[in-house]
Amino acid sequence: MLSTRPYKLHKLESGPASEAQVTSDEARKYYRDMATVRRMETAAGNLYKEKAIRGFCHLYSGQEACCVGMEAVLDRNDPVITAYRAHGWTYTRGVPVKAVLSELTGRASGCAKGKGGSMHMYNHNFYGGNGIVGAQVPLGAGIAFAQKYREDKRVCVTLYGDGAANQGQVFEAFNMAKLWDLPCIFVCENNKYGMGTAVERAAASTAYYTRGDYIPGLWVDAMDVITVREATRFAKDWCLSGKGPILLEMETYRFSY
Amino acid sequence: CRSLAARLGPVCLDAASFSRRRLSFGPQFVYTPESADKSLGETSRMNLFQAVTSALDNTLANDPSAVVFGEDVAFGGVFRCTVGLKDKYGKDRVFNTPLSEQGIVGFAIGHAVAGATTVAEIQFGDYIFPAFDQIANEASKYRYRSGNHFNCGSLTVRAPIGAVGHGALYHSQSPEGFFAHLPGIKVVIPRGPIQAKGLLLACINDPDPCFYFEPKILYRSAVEDVPVNGYVLPIGKAEVLIEGSDVTLIGYGTQVHVLREVARLAQSELGVSCELIDMRTILPFDEETVYASVCKTGRCLIAHEAPLTGGFGAELAASVQEHCFLNLEAPVRRVAGHDTPFPHIFENFYLPHQRRCLAAIKDLIGY
Repeated sequence: MLSTRPYKLHKLESGPASEAQVTSDEARKYYRDMATVRRMETAAGNLYKEKAIRGFCHLYSGQEACCVGMEAVLDRNDPVITAYRAHGWTYTRGVPVKAVLSELTGRASGCAKGKGGSMHMYNHNFYGGNGIVGAQVPLGAGIAFAQKYREDKRVCVTLYGDGAANQGQVFEAFNMAKLWDLPCIFVCENNKYGMGTAVERAAASTAYYTRGDYIPGLWVDAMDVITVREATRFAKDWCLSGKGPILLEMETYRFSY
Repeated sequence: CRSLAARLGPVCLDAASFSRRRLSFGPQFVYTPESADKSLGETSRMNLFQAVTSALDNTLANDPSAVVFGEDVAFGGVFRCTVGLKDKYGKDRVFNTPLSEQGIVGFAIGHAVAGATTVAEIQFGDYIFPAFDQIANEASKYRYRSGNHFNCGSLTVRAPIGAVGHGALYHSQSPEGFFAHLPGIKVVIPRGPIQAKGLLLACINDPDPCFYFEPKILYRSAVEDVPVNGYVLPIGKAEVLIEGSDVTLIGYGTQVHVLREVARLAQSELGVSCELIDMRTILPFDEETVYASVCKTGRCLIAHEAPLTGGFGAELAASVQEHCFLNLEAPVRRVAGHDTPFPHIFENFYLPHQRRCLAAIKDLIGY
C-alpha cells in the first residue's frame, strides 16, 4: 500500500483514497511508461535543436505522471482531448514512439501522415492535439454529450492548461457541462506558466480547481503518479454515477517551452 | 525531377539532394532595402520589429493617453516588437494580458471608446478569431450605430501574419481576407521597416479602428535605415514599385518581394515588362492606382499567400474586370495558397512562389 499526497477539495464532501494498492507489475508499467515519455521528449528536443523538427515542439517532460496516472484508470474507450502539449498523451493513447517522432519530422509514416506535426497528433478516442488553446474544451464537452446521448458509459477527459484557463470558451463549456450533467472530466494541467507568463501574472485566481465554480473540483499534486491515479478513479466514478462533470487541477511542472 | 523542379521553383525534390542538404522552407525571396526620404531626418539601422518598436516608442512619448498591451508584451514580446518599452514608460502603460483574445480586443475597444490611444497586440494572426465577433460586431460598427456619438477610432490592433517556413497550420495564416469584408475598419500590411513604421504611425493616428498585420518572416530579414523621428505614410494608397508595360503584378507584404524576383525573371526569361504594385492598404484599397495600371498594361496578376477562394485577390479581380474590361488582353489571374489548411510539411508546394507566378505570366502573355 502506498499513500497518496493530500488533495484539496472544492464543493466535495470527500475526496479520493489516501492509500492505494499498487502491485509491482503496475509500478513497473507506470515507471516504464513515464520513462519512455521522458526519453521520447528528450529525443524530440534534440531533433528540434538539430532542426530536423521545425516549427513548434511543446514537450511534456516533467508532466509524465499526469498522463500515465490518468491512463491507469481510463480505458481506450474513454475519449481524451487536449491542447498542444500532447506527445505524452499521444503515447499513452497507443501511438508508438516511432509514429510520434515521424509525425514531428513530417514523415508520411507519422500518426497524422506528417500533415499535423507536433500539435496535431490523433488516434482512436484521442481527439488531439489542438493548436488554439481553450478551443478544445467546448469540443470535449460535445464529445461527452455524444457519449451520454448514446448511453456509452464512458467519460471524456478534456485537458487544458493554466494559460487557456482564462479563455472565455472554457467557461461556456463548464456551463453547458453542468447544465446537462455531462460525463466530462475537465483537467487543468497547471505547469505554472502560460507561454512565458507566470500564472500569478495572468490569473486573478490561480486556484484553478475552484474555477469551475458550480462544478466540484479537486486539486492534485500531479508530480506523483499514484496520487494522480486515485484522483482519476474518484473522478471517473463521480461522472459515471450520473453526478455530472468534475474538474481536476493537476499541479505539475514542465522543463521546456 | 527537372521539369518538376522548374515548375516548383528553387527546391530540388529528388531523394539524393534531400539527404545532401536541407530543404529550405518558406517564401523564397531576397529583401531589397529601401531608403527613406531625406527630409525625414536622422536614420538608424532597423529591422522590421525594431521599426515597430520605434513607432510605438514615438507614440508613447508623444501621446500621454497611449497604452500598449497583449500577451507577453511586457518582457518585449515573442517577436521582440515591444522590447524596452515597459522599462521606459512603466507597467501602467505597457502590460501583459491573460490568454484571452476576445477579452483583449473587447477591452481594447472599450479603452479606445473612452478616448485613449490603444495599441493591442494579438500574438499571432492565427489567434485572432476568438476576437472576430468583437471586431465585426463592435469595433467596425461603433461609429455608425451610434450616429457618430461614439467611436473606437483610436484603436489599433497589431498581429504577425504569414508564412515563415515552419509555422504550419496555426502560425502561418494570412487572415486579411476576412477583415477586408468589414466596412468600418481599415486593414494595413507593410512590406519593410520604413513602410512599417510610417504605416503603423498612420494607423495609430487614423480616425478609424485599424488592423495592422506584420509579415513575420520580415521581422528579422528586412533591414534598412529608418528615420528615428515619427512620420506617417498614407493609408489607402498603393505604391508602384517598378514601372512596366506588359503585365501588372499586384501583391502585399512578403509577396511583394517574391514578385520583385518574378518581374526580374519575366524580363530576363520571357522579355516581359512587369509593373509591380504594393497594395499596402487592403481596406480601403487604392482603386485609382490599380485601375490606371491595368488599363495601361492590359494584363493583371494578383498573388497572395492566403487561400485562393474568397481571398482578397477575388475582390481585386472582380473590381479590376469591372473597371478595366475593355482594356484587358487576358482574364485577370490570381496565384494564391491552395484551398487547404496551411500545411505542415507541404509549405513549398502551397505558397505562390516565383515559378507559379511566372507560369501564370506565360499564360497571360500567350492568351
